[in-house]
Amino acid sequence: MSRLQASRKARSAIVMGLCYASAGLGLLALALILGTLVWNGFSGFSLSVFTRMTPPPGSAGGLLNAIAGSLIMTFFGVLIGAPLGVFAGTYMAEYGRDTHLTTVVRFINDVLLSAPSIVIGLFVYEIAVVPMGHFSAIAGSIALALLVVPVVVRTTEDMLNLVPGTLREAATALGLPRAMVIRHVAYKAARSGLITGLLLAIARISGETAPLLFTSLNNQFWSSNLNAPMASLPAVIFQFAMSPYKEWQALAWVGALLITFAVLTLSIAARVLGSQRTSQ
Amino acid sequence: MVDHTVRSFDADLETLDRHISEMGGIAEKMLSDAMDALATMNAELAHRVVETDLRLDHLQRTVEDLAVRTLARRQPVAVDLRDVVGVMRIAADLERIGDQAKNIAKRTTKIAGEPRLSRAVIGLKSMHEVAANQLKDVLDAYAQRDASAARAVWARDAELDALEDSVFRDLLTFMMEDPRNITFCTHLLFCSKNLERVGDHATNIAETVVYIVTGENLSGEDRPRGPEAAALP
Amino acid sequence: MTDSAVQDVAAPSAKLAEKMSVRSLDFYYGDHRALKSVNVKFYANQVTALIGPSGCGKSTLLRVLNRMYDLYPRQRAEGEVLLDGENILDPKLDLNSLRARVGMVFQKPTPFPMSIYENIAFGVRLYEKLGRADMDERVEAALRGAALWDEVKDKLTTSGLSLSGGQQQRLCIARTIAIKPEMILFDEPASALDPISTAKIEELIDELRADYTIAIVTHNMQQAVRVSQFTAFMYLGELVEFDQTDRIFTAPRERRTQDYITGRFG
Repeated sequence: MSRLQASRKARSAIVMGLCYASAGLGLLALALILGTLVWNGFSGFSLSVFTRMTPPPGSAGGLLNAIAGSLIMTFFGVLIGAPLGVFAGTYMAEYGRDTHLTTVVRFINDVLLSAPSIVIGLFVYEIAVVPMGHFSAIAGSIALALLVVPVVVRTTEDMLNLVPGTLREAATALGLPRAMVIRHVAYKAARSGLITGLLLAIARISGETAPLLFTSLNNQFWSSNLNAPMASLPAVIFQFAMSPYKEWQALAWVGALLITFAVLTLSIAARVLGSQRTSQ
Repeated sequence: MVDHTVRSFDADLETLDRHISEMGGIAEKMLSDAMDALATMNAELAHRVVETDLRLDHLQRTVEDLAVRTLARRQPVAVDLRDVVGVMRIAADLERIGDQAKNIAKRTTKIAGEPRLSRAVIGLKSMHEVAANQLKDVLDAYAQRDASAARAVWARDAELDALEDSVFRDLLTFMMEDPRNITFCTHLLFCSKNLERVGDHATNIAETVVYIVTGENLSGEDRPRGPEAAALP
Repeated sequence: MTDSAVQDVAAPSAKLAEKMSVRSLDFYYGDHRALKSVNVKFYANQVTALIGPSGCGKSTLLRVLNRMYDLYPRQRAEGEVLLDGENILDPKLDLNSLRARVGMVFQKPTPFPMSIYENIAFGVRLYEKLGRADMDERVEAALRGAALWDEVKDKLTTSGLSLSGGQQQRLCIARTIAIKPEMILFDEPASALDPISTAKIEELIDELRADYTIAIVTHNMQQAVRVSQFTAFMYLGELVEFDQTDRIFTAPRERRTQDYITGRFG
């Protein structure tokens, strides 16, 4: 073997070693976090978590109102944010691909995408909570919607851009009007990508605490009134984990475990759908 | 003409061209040798002409093989297609011209022993002169890809037809003068037919050359024929 | 080439009817003039091949014929393109009905992400309200017309994307003929296919000629010889020569045509 080859091999081995080491380090951290979470979460796990309300300090209880609150606000957040995002993304990819407006919107959207969620929370506090005079689930949903929009805009635009132009031309060549080309062909072709984006958006907002603290706050009791403060898992975790009470801390671990698994499930689902799209 | 992007295609076409000029040379030589043999009743020379025909046949097959391979490999179009197809047709015509020379040579070996009638051969000689000229001109026209020269050859064929008519009348007179001449003159009659055929093949080649160069097919009906036409300038 | 020159070679026999006539067509991509006063005719029930080196404007010309260029900004056409005497470059023209009359099949097969059946029924529904049975019949007829029926009749509900490349292309042809166009434009329809699939598409084009006017862009000159009755040779945005295919490929009039088809371009 020549010296050149030998030195190349050596360099390759060093770089590969570094790659493995950093990957291993990342995986180790993940395993430790998940391990701690599962260990602590499962020890406080019981059926009552799903059947009882959050308890006052020092007594037993569950997370029912927090789970319900999270589901409700996530639902409304997506309901408001997703259509907005899809419409905006569609405009950017289909109608205004090269327009100035699209460039501006894309830039702002990118800023929004990376904006700290606490800023979003403060913003909604100013525009919703202050005028209304009190915290509410509506304000929480709006804050979550604002987090959903940039993710969905981004994925919608990207996914529609991935739809081959030839497919659009083929549909146009059949005499389909623009709107039908988009609805029946482009959306269909990008469907799994769009759903992936939506799932990722849900995963993102379901763990958010900061914006909710400024908007829906928290609620010790069951409430389905959108115009009143509402409990949510992240807010409850935040509150309980900080508390000195053993029962609360245990419930906080359980809540964290629930959210983690929900997000994990959504991510896996998104990944599976994504791979289906590429394997077509 | 500009070379092909695929150079070996040009090489193939050049090889075909070379084979054609070789065949042309052989055919011309066979024809003049056959006529010399006839004029001098040289049986040995006549034999050589017959043998040379094998070489011509062989070349024709070579040309055909190469042309077919070129068609298959290059799928030529337009001028290239006309070139390859034309080469095949010309090779066939040249081979037939060789056959005419061979026939004359064969007759020479048959009549070499008979009493000669030298004046009877004079007409054939002038026919040969015209036919040989036609052949030479058309081969030049092919080599130069000169359509107008080819057209000239084509138009001149009537001259040979007219000559054949007069040779026919002369031979008939000789036969009537002395019935002992009949065998000899009948053979010469066939030879004159052979020479007339050489002219026809030269005309065919002329048509092919025009086709190769212009893509036009000269239709046989337009060609001037017979003694009347021969009188035309 | 002037219009009168086109007229010269126009109709070898009086039977041929002009389906589409392109007159002094200029086309611009922004400021770039991609077609330079092109004149060409497409005869009914004849296949017309557009040949020429890459970038000569043949695909551009094809995309003018169904106004596909309208999808893109900064592209415009000037001149006249008459379809049965009506100028399709008229800005007031209804593009969707034009495209229903002039169908197009693309270089790469483009089945829609739906079932084989839906791929065909989808377009038909735009123009006609058919009952279930009528629609089934139409789909079958289209698939038969595209010589695909026997291969897919047992799996009409599976995705169009599950078919092989050649089958996908025939599905696209079926989809196009299902809406009963008058003219079909083929943009290098076989360039992404294997020789057998290519042969099937060529055979199909020859059959389709009975009912449609066909224009085909191809890089493959042998294909042009095989499928077309008329050929237009284009070079640098100009129409150099338009004539019967037999004539173009045995004895073209123009030197540039000859140099191109015999492979003498540098």
